[in-house]
Amino acid sequence: MSASDEEIHELVRQEAGDCLQRMETNLLALESGEGGSEALDAILRDAHSIKGSSAMVGWREAAALAHSIEEHVEEAREKGSFPTELAGPLLGEVDTLRQTIVGDSTPAPTAELGAPTIRVAASKVDRMLDVVGETVLYHRRLEHVLGESARADGAAAEQLDMGERLLDNLQDSVVQMRTLPLSTITTPFPRAIRDLAAEEGKEVELEISGAETQLDRVILEGISETIVHVLRNAVAHGVEAPDERESAAKPRVGRVELRAEQRGGMVAVEIADDGQGVSAELIERAEKEGSLAEILAETGFSTAEEVTGVAGRGVGLDAVKRHVESLGGNLELQSEPGRGTQVTLLLPLTLALMRVLLFERGGQPFGLPMASIGRVVAVSDVTALGNRPSLELEGEAVPLSDLGLLLGATVEDLPEQPPAVVIESLGRRLALACDALLGEEEVVIKSLGALLAGVPGYLGAAILGDGRIALVLDPNHLLKAPREAMALNQAEETTARAAAQVLVVDDQFAARELQRSILETAGYRVQTARDGREALRRVGEIGDLDLVMTDVQMPEMDGFELLEAIRAEQAHSSLPVVIVTTLGDEVSRKRGAEAGADAYIVKEEFDQQGLLETIERLVGR
Amino acid sequence: MSGVHVRVLVAGEHYALAVDQVLEVAELGDIAAVPGSPPHVLGVHNLHGQVVPVIALAARLGLAEGEPQRIVVAEQGEVKAGLAVDAVIDVGELPEPSEQVESPYLLGAVLLDGTLVGVLDIETVLAPISSSSEAPG
Repeated sequence: MSASDEEIHELVRQEAGDCLQRMETNLLALESGEGGSEALDAILRDAHSIKGSSAMVGWREAAALAHSIEEHVEEAREKGSFPTELAGPLLGEVDTLRQTIVGDSTPAPTAELGAPTIRVAASKVDRMLDVVGETVLYHRRLEHVLGESARADGAAAEQLDMGERLLDNLQDSVVQMRTLPLSTITTPFPRAIRDLAAEEGKEVELEISGAETQLDRVILEGISETIVHVLRNAVAHGVEAPDERESAAKPRVGRVELRAEQRGGMVAVEIADDGQGVSAELIERAEKEGSLAEILAETGFSTAEEVTGVAGRGVGLDAVKRHVESLGGNLELQSEPGRGTQVTLLLPLTLALMRVLLFERGGQPFGLPMASIGRVVAVSDVTALGNRPSLELEGEAVPLSDLGLLLGATVEDLPEQPPAVVIESLGRRLALACDALLGEEEVVIKSLGALLAGVPGYLGAAILGDGRIALVLDPNHLLKAPREAMALNQAEETTARAAAQVLVVDDQFAARELQRSILETAGYRVQTARDGREALRRVGEIGDLDLVMTDVQMPEMDGFELLEAIRAEQAHSSLPVVIVTTLGDEVSRKRGAEAGADAYIVKEEFDQQGLLETIERLVGR
Repeated sequence: MSGVHVRVLVAGEHYALAVDQVLEVAELGDIAAVPGSPPHVLGVHNLHGQVVPVIALAARLGLAEGEPQRIVVAEQGEVKAGLAVDAVIDVGELPEPSEQVESPYLLGAVLLDGTLVGVLDIETVLAPISSSSEAPG
């Protein structure tokens, strides 16, 4: 689904309409001597919103008018009092602005503009969606009850099919009433960002990812102007002028990224720039006072020194924060001086449409977002090192977990050669073994409700065609879960040996990665090399290497040759080297000892604890 | 709180909740367990296309496991949940609770036809689950 310009314009018009309405109310209040500074702040925010969204869609005149209103109100705010006679002229400006926005839309706006809309409570659409889902189920049951006899009767079968198609259609329509992909509002952004950058004398590239993320329409429609604010801030305050970037050894073209993804029961919309970031003093202040977002959102605060037509006054972030919070979400802000700023809008997910892979464990269906799934495999060879089973996939060791155990459910044993779903996220992979795969389906994700909102690990639930409920799992939570548990066990030791760095040398990816994961879990920093020659080069490169762990049989240069070469160098003659090999015979052991190995571990006798103890002793911490 | 109440049977004991807090009574049917939730949560139930959490009332009240057959769907503020009960006894007028009861989940108790009936405090029974740990009950 992609939105036409007209849809965008209509959205901006609707939002501006709401803003103008509020401005009018506040101005009237000020005129009658009520309202005070809160009304002034509110007018400023609304004018700023209109300025932002108008400029974004290229309505320059409207943006200029909104800016002028902003200026007048700002003047009054600075003086500390609002002369009541100012209300009249300002109301006039609001009227002009309203006219401009209505008249300034598209070449032939009036026809579309008149398209009637109705406002319906979201809960009513939700109820409708529930009932439609149930009707689909009843239809299936009816078909089942009528059985073969109905199928045999051509006319009856035709009517049943027709009913099913209509119901599918109805379901789609209702879902569309309720959700929209983020792309609905992002389509005009890249162009707008280029134009805006040009106006500012900057070069900026916008990259959008996750635009297909489905969002609650209520939230989506309210959030576009907010995203526009943040994007404008990124261009106006974040990204530096090309020359300035060049002298800071950055590419001339600045990057602004807009990313959306589902995160637990929320949707995260991140806007990140690689610009100048906020000042170090601010970061320091944020550390003391708690939140950078809080500080930057203070009314009257601005990160730019001068107020330009584009953004400024910091009114923007104030409005952003209020708005996100009014939707039940959160605003997070991170910044690194000289490196950039990242603003995250965390929005609640009340309902969404998602493609999921369905599978069963312990007789219960579960789902995982298709977007998080790398592949599906049949588990045959399981490599185990220590107590942690792994699968070898494309030469990489991927940790394998029983989904049931991982969730903490009481389940029977897995079948032989069970299927496993491999999830990927944030550069990590995890294989989840289950009983059976049920297939791929597009489902409506429903919230587990307020009572269960605190139970982590679920994106929500989906009602399947047979009426059963499939819990839809949060892949990011699953990927984190086992590591968190381990991190707890090892926490104490981890801090003590945070600095020790180990080079793991093995030509087999799986072995290398398993050793890496054991060492990393135990708190070591790990580098890897594929053979002796590469290892020797790395030994020279890595300044603070504490230990080398090497296999023997490798192409190019084997482990013994590597060891001899290391010992031959003055600088590394005392660097601890541990040999980890399948060669358990006496001759090999002797050769290792003669070459100067500090420890010799045979892979068949490998035990995780023993290895870690050996390393700890050699590293001397 | 006197007024019309729904009286239910839970593990051989009698409990009641105000009728205006009850949305409907449904068959227990299929419940999908939610691993990771506290023991008193049986799971989630498909109630006319809505996903509704189901609380094992017996476990919530610290009773022996009963034989849940029905769910009484109750609502309190934003929280809607089904309470799994063995049976619904009747709907009728209940006098003001006269007996004090030491339970966070009960407003009190009342003697009715020689049987003690616990009046449920729906607000605490339906208290949302915090992500860290369950409050002791």
